Amino acid sequence: MYLQRLNPSIKACTVVLLIILLAFIFDPVTPMLMIFFTMFITLAFGKVRWKTYFLFFIPFSIFAFGMLWTTLIFQKPPTNAADTITVLWWSYPRESLLTALALSTRVLAVGSLSLLFIFTTNTIDFILSLIQQCKVPPKIAYGVLAGYRFLPMMRDEMKLVHAAHRIRGVNEAHSFWGKWKQYSRFAIPLLASAIRKAERTAMAMESKGFTGDRQRTYYKSFSVVLQDIGFLLLMVAAFAIAAYLSFLLGYFKWGAS
Amino acid sequence: MKPLVQVQELSLQFDAAKAAVLSNISFELFENERVLLLGPSGCGKSTLTFCLNGIYPRELDGSMTGQVIFNGKNTADYLPGELSKQVGVVFQDPETQFCMLTVEDEIAFGLENHAVPPSEMEDKIVEVLQLVDLLAFKSAPIATLSGGQKQRLALACILALEPQLLILDEPTANLDPEAAQQLIRTIQTLQRKRSFGLLIIEHQLDGWTDIADRCLLLQSNGELFYDGSFKEAIASKLASLETEGIWLPKVAQYVLPAIAPPYQHVPLTIGAYAAQPIELPDYTLHKQTETQPILQEPFMKLNNLSWHVKDRNIIQDVSFQLYTNEFVAIVGANGSGKTSLSRLLAGIQSPTKGDIVLQGKKLPEWRQSDLRKKIGYVFQNPEHQFIAHTVFEELAFGLRLRGLSEDIIIEKVSQALASCHLSGMEQEHPYTLSQGQKRRLSVATMIIDEQEMLLLDEPTFGQDARTNQELMQLLTARFQQGTSIVMITHDMELVYHYATRVIVMEHGHKVADMPTAALWNHSDEQLSAWKLKRPIPLQLQQLWERKCTHVFAAP
Repeated sequence: MYLQRLNPSIKACTVVLLIILLAFIFDPVTPMLMIFFTMFITLAFGKVRWKTYFLFFIPFSIFAFGMLWTTLIFQKPPTNAADTITVLWWSYPRESLLTALALSTRVLAVGSLSLLFIFTTNTIDFILSLIQQCKVPPKIAYGVLAGYRFLPMMRDEMKLVHAAHRIRGVNEAHSFWGKWKQYSRFAIPLLASAIRKAERTAMAMESKGFTGDRQRTYYKSFSVVLQDIGFLLLMVAAFAIAAYLSFLLGYFKWGAS
Repeated sequence: MKPLVQVQELSLQFDAAKAAVLSNISFELFENERVLLLGPSGCGKSTLTFCLNGIYPRELDGSMTGQVIFNGKNTADYLPGELSKQVGVVFQDPETQFCMLTVEDEIAFGLENHAVPPSEMEDKIVEVLQLVDLLAFKSAPIATLSGGQKQRLALACILALEPQLLILDEPTANLDPEAAQQLIRTIQTLQRKRSFGLLIIEHQLDGWTDIADRCLLLQSNGELFYDGSFKEAIASKLASLETEGIWLPKVAQYVLPAIAPPYQHVPLTIGAYAAQPIELPDYTLHKQTETQPILQEPFMKLNNLSWHVKDRNIIQDVSFQLYTNEFVAIVGANGSGKTSLSRLLAGIQSPTKGDIVLQGKKLPEWRQSDLRKKIGYVFQNPEHQFIAHTVFEELAFGLRLRGLSEDIIIEKVSQALASCHLSGMEQEHPYTLSQGQKRRLSVATMIIDEQEMLLLDEPTFGQDARTNQELMQLLTARFQQGTSIVMITHDMELVYHYATRVIVMEHGHKVADMPTAALWNHSDEQLSAWKLKRPIPLQLQQLWERKCTHVFAAP
């Protein structure tokens, strides 16, 4: 079984549900266990190269570390200052450390869940499944799809305009203000061509009979099968077990205080 | 016989426009008929397409009078999207007629719109991909296809809907000659395999004359001025064809001066000429440029130039020298590295290996602002190069950078405007100009700085014939004043008439570099291996000589 085969909408719902659940938890153990579990299933069932995976994990880690650090330093004075934990020659009030860890592991848990979705989901499939399962209007969804095609075209055109302006003798700007002016000069040719292209694409789509209504069939149809529900239940169960383990260890805490 | 389409007194005007786009047009199309609709750029050809497939008047910001009747029913009475199953359109831009990412999804998109059961889709997709010879690319991303393949995909998308009328709106305008020829061949084969009406909208005729039974001629004010066979049109409407800028097939252009009216029997293709060759006057073979390059000090020297992107070798070990007063054409197949080479020459890209020496100094050692005074570069899309908000400021931009006084600027700008026929348009916004005017303005912005070398990246691509002619006049004038010109092109006529030297690129290598006249001495096999073709006048001459020797050799 691969995560890629799951219904994208259900996968997205599962991830969102877990992120909401994690937001209610205020101890470090539950999110920590969730991180390990999410990482495990992403790497084991996601056909994800672990090198790329950890590369994408770096920004989340930096953010989490920043969170940990600032919370430790700027915490309000703990109620029980005598209860300290020593980590690497530094001693922190136990309460402060737990809060800081809870916040930063929450960031990492959200990160790992997002990566699970991003690495195992095809954007096009996701949008198509949104139309079919979540009843997103085709007009909006196919508009987004067409726009998605435009992004690389816009990037290439931006490079071209940049080169074309350099040839005209426009010097490379170095100051912030100069750069701002330079990019606003790019805006007109880019916008003009984007509007023209968008109009042409819209006309071409209509010429192929696209009206935006729901009376259509699907070449790739997405349905919700038992294994999708299974994945949802599995993830929620993993969360419940993590919370229970945390409770057994005496860390479990929920709510914002 | 009942007509498939009846257009009755159709007139159309956009809200923002001063004049009508289409005025009082009436014609009929029959089932399985193949019709060519010709007219200059901007005469409302594409607007007519939208009237025929029912998008107008529904989506029109403007007014439409008269009516279009398809299969006995007014197009306005069809439900939205209903008519698109019967009238299919292939548009001219290969990039912007798709909304999905892969080939099969794109074909499926049209089928989905018409609620074709999913179980039938697979077979239909395979069938149409076979028809256009793209089956191997079924699950490929559209972005990886070439321009010609994209147009064939666009055709497949429409064929999957099995339309009764197929409209091709300048389908080859943005393709290189080889891809264009292949598309035309595909359409010819399709015509034999399937039955559908065909309406081809074009501003040039080459390649299509064999296919069409009848032609409709539109003039620039949106009126229809001819409906009948094309040969008859040449005989009776030759003058109007010329004033409207509808260009005869190249073969006919060369043969016409040699024969007397009436012109009913003018050959339109090489094949037709070969059946009945006639002698052509010498000036058809005359070249317009006969300037000798100044061969002392090279203007620019390329030493073992290579350029790699990741592990792809785009340019490999290219060396040559460019002299003052040369008109060089860089030719070769698509993807042979022509554009990349020109980018390197202009200093927009830096090579991975080797160097370029400009007047004794390596390119990176030049100050950017000094380099721009030496080398100009005209991009394919003129809009990319526009910076200012008026035509005057556009031209003055470079001069102001050089710190010239206002009087000199005004004088130079008005000279430049006159030389490219843009006088009186000083205060227009560059974006509001017509296609041809934009093209001339973009060249003018480059030559006003009097650079010593001008690089052009396929300046005639996707333009109509009149625009091209005006552009070439401008370049020739510049060339005669001593500017070296390096031009990338697919157009063998241009190479033949203007270039003094040809550089042939193949897979990133320079495979030939010689005076233009010497290029045509190569065998047909060699030329076609380089993806080149002998220009029409030389082909005609060859045929004529073959006939003469045949006559003389006969007992």
